[in-house]
Amino acid sequence: MMDRVLEKVVAGFSWICAMVLLGTVFCIVGYLLINGLGTINVTLIFGETDPVDALLFRKQVFDGLFPAIVGTFALVALSVSFAVPIGIAAGIYMAEYCRGVLKRVFSLFFDVLAGIPSIVVGLFGFSVAIFLHNYFSSRIYPCLLISALSLAFLVLPYLIRTTQISLENLPEDIRQTAPALGATKLQNIFYVLIPRSLSGMASGVILSIGRCAEDTAVIMLTGAVTMVGVPKSVFSNYEALPFYIYYISSQYSNKQELLSGYGAAIILLVICGLLFTVAFFVKHRLAYHALYRQ
Amino acid sequence: MKVIDRFAEKFFWVAAVLSLSVTVLIFGFMVILGFPLFKGGQFIELLSKPWLPDHGIFGIYPMIVGTLSIALLGLGFAFPLCLGCSAFISVLGPKRLGRILKKTVQIMTGIPTVIYGFVGIFLLVPVIREVFESGSGMCILSTSLLLAILISPTMILFFSDSFDQVPKPFLDAVDALGGNKAQKILYVILPYSWRGVLTGLILALGRAMGDTMIALMVAGNAVAIPDSVLDSARTLTAHIALIIAADFESLEFKTLFACGIILYLFTTFIALSVRSIDSKFWRKK
Amino acid sequence: MDNEIKIKIDGLSFFYNEHRVLNNITAGFPEHTITAIVGPSGKGKTTFLMTLNRLWESISEARMEGRVEIRFGDRFHKIYDPSYPLSQLRRLVGMVFQVPNPLPMSIYKNVAFPLKLAGMKDKNIISGKVETALKRAFLWEEVKDRLTDNAFALSGGQQQRLCIARALTLGPEILLLDEPTSSLDANAGAVIEELMLSLKERCTLLMVSHYLDQVKRIADTTMELSDGKLLEYPNS
Repeated sequence: MMDRVLEKVVAGFSWICAMVLLGTVFCIVGYLLINGLGTINVTLIFGETDPVDALLFRKQVFDGLFPAIVGTFALVALSVSFAVPIGIAAGIYMAEYCRGVLKRVFSLFFDVLAGIPSIVVGLFGFSVAIFLHNYFSSRIYPCLLISALSLAFLVLPYLIRTTQISLENLPEDIRQTAPALGATKLQNIFYVLIPRSLSGMASGVILSIGRCAEDTAVIMLTGAVTMVGVPKSVFSNYEALPFYIYYISSQYSNKQELLSGYGAAIILLVICGLLFTVAFFVKHRLAYHALYRQ
Repeated sequence: MKVIDRFAEKFFWVAAVLSLSVTVLIFGFMVILGFPLFKGGQFIELLSKPWLPDHGIFGIYPMIVGTLSIALLGLGFAFPLCLGCSAFISVLGPKRLGRILKKTVQIMTGIPTVIYGFVGIFLLVPVIREVFESGSGMCILSTSLLLAILISPTMILFFSDSFDQVPKPFLDAVDALGGNKAQKILYVILPYSWRGVLTGLILALGRAMGDTMIALMVAGNAVAIPDSVLDSARTLTAHIALIIAADFESLEFKTLFACGIILYLFTTFIALSVRSIDSKFWRKK
Repeated sequence: MDNEIKIKIDGLSFFYNEHRVLNNITAGFPEHTITAIVGPSGKGKTTFLMTLNRLWESISEARMEGRVEIRFGDRFHKIYDPSYPLSQLRRLVGMVFQVPNPLPMSIYKNVAFPLKLAGMKDKNIISGKVETALKRAFLWEEVKDRLTDNAFALSGGQQQRLCIARALTLGPEILLLDEPTSSLDANAGAVIEELMLSLKERCTLLMVSHYLDQVKRIADTTMELSDGKLLEYPNS
């Protein structure tokens, strides 16, 4: 019964793989939780400063994660506001206006952009900053603005692709309804197609937010530092959670600092996990609404 | 109406062109800024020389070896693991467990690489150090293991989607003829979806070669050419992160553009390969 | 009917999501006959066929009650008994689907596939069985010179005969056919009907059909499945 043996071996192998994967995830998350859960408290985030003062930006926080959290939020907000309009517009162009060889060319370029390692994008951002510093204004250094722009480049192809795919996946009959009633191409796009693909586009945006929040390679070359507090303007240095985690892992000088790294790691995981879950629900809830609103 | 229509179309078009020019600009900047390297054919030489700044030699060959060995080893760990997991999800595992695994894998795609690096330093590296009793534990092996976990979720989801796209009539035929689950996977599902599997593999390779944080934190960053998997190594990506603090005008710094160009070219190669596998299949995704 | 009973069904009920589809069916099917199952669409005819080769078990919201016994050799076997091997059942009870479903392989490999599943390795025996199956399915003459062609290059009627050949490779004793000609044109359908008549001497055939004239032409017994109940009416 050769097939009995084959079946057992193949099935056994896949079970082992599944268990190894699940086991690894549990180890990683469990390890962080065991070591870091105890440090999650107000002091971790706000240090010695009173939380209310910190939240109203009346006083600086020097020994807590608050500046890094603020920095991450500011970074994400800025880069997403750059990337989303352009990414969605370009995605609409790809899905609705671009055809033939031109489409294949654009597609190829965007695929390349999607695959560029983040450190290379960071190097580009850094070089642009130096270039601007030398030729435009010596006040320009790697800063929040440069980081945000670089991150925007990083997530741009992703937004383009998700917008393009959600639009292209709409069935033919939905595409043809409004034009048959006399609508122009633009009216069709805005009144029919975009509302219908909102869930896909929204989940793409949320996932881009996650990508910006978690990235370390780009920001460490373009302005992320430690111990500068809350960013004063878009042209200043700033702190960020992922960079803090990286920095602490090699530069911790006592147990307390190391533990704060664990705490930061948990907070970052929670943020990214939350964003992912929200993206997932948005994708499905909006689809539910779109179907049942009629 | 007409004016708005044309304006909107132009706007969308401009956005697309802007995005495209970013792609070109990134490459262009690196070529222009690294230009001094190309004079006199130094660029090609750089690719084969070791990194000895004290002797004025800024070759990036060790980093190329580092990147390739870490990425390929990581892929070697990940590929069978992902095949097994996606087979489990799509066919071989009980439905409920398969769904749990798939959900877990989907959530895993959101785990930042810096977290893997962080856990790697404090959990994996000491273990490797103990088990192999040589070196500091910060080596190619540790990095590849972590990298394998990093790239697995995307590969698993990719494979699993490819498996799910096998037309149901084929699966019904195998069932009706008395085939079991293993036979279904081996004789019908895998042969049918080989293109999806290959695409997923190539994309994962690109991801593995482009990762920075895990290599930076766990591989040790030694500049010597590694001899064994227990040796420390430096990747092209980590090199960029480390040398960024050097003087912008120096030759040392310019080698970063060489690294960037190599990585960029490799990315382009991956994008082209994926395209060539089967453009029809790819468009379906 | 003089022939011995081949399939015995007792108290068969079937539920999809607790919605009753088959209602306490008791019936017997004689061997070497063609029994046609007719009735309104979507009322369980395909489901009924699937209870005989247990193909419904991969559907999660489905549940079955009752007994099905099939006579292989000289005694009846309870095919739902956990000790009865599923792959064995499906080698003895073959199935042909409404829309032909050749596998993405050559014609030869399609017909040889069941042998591969059964672990057969000898190339000579395999090619012999493939030829026999294709001949019994009235397809040999048309494909003998292009056995390595892709199965999808065949016409619809040829693909269906290919699927029948594939089902015949292991020498099943029962053949289940789910509307075998409904996706084919009249000529192709006629060939399949002749084929089914010729298979009677080796197999017991159960066929779901919508075409009452087809049923009149080839069926020995006709049963109607309506309201979950199976009612026989005699054929002239």
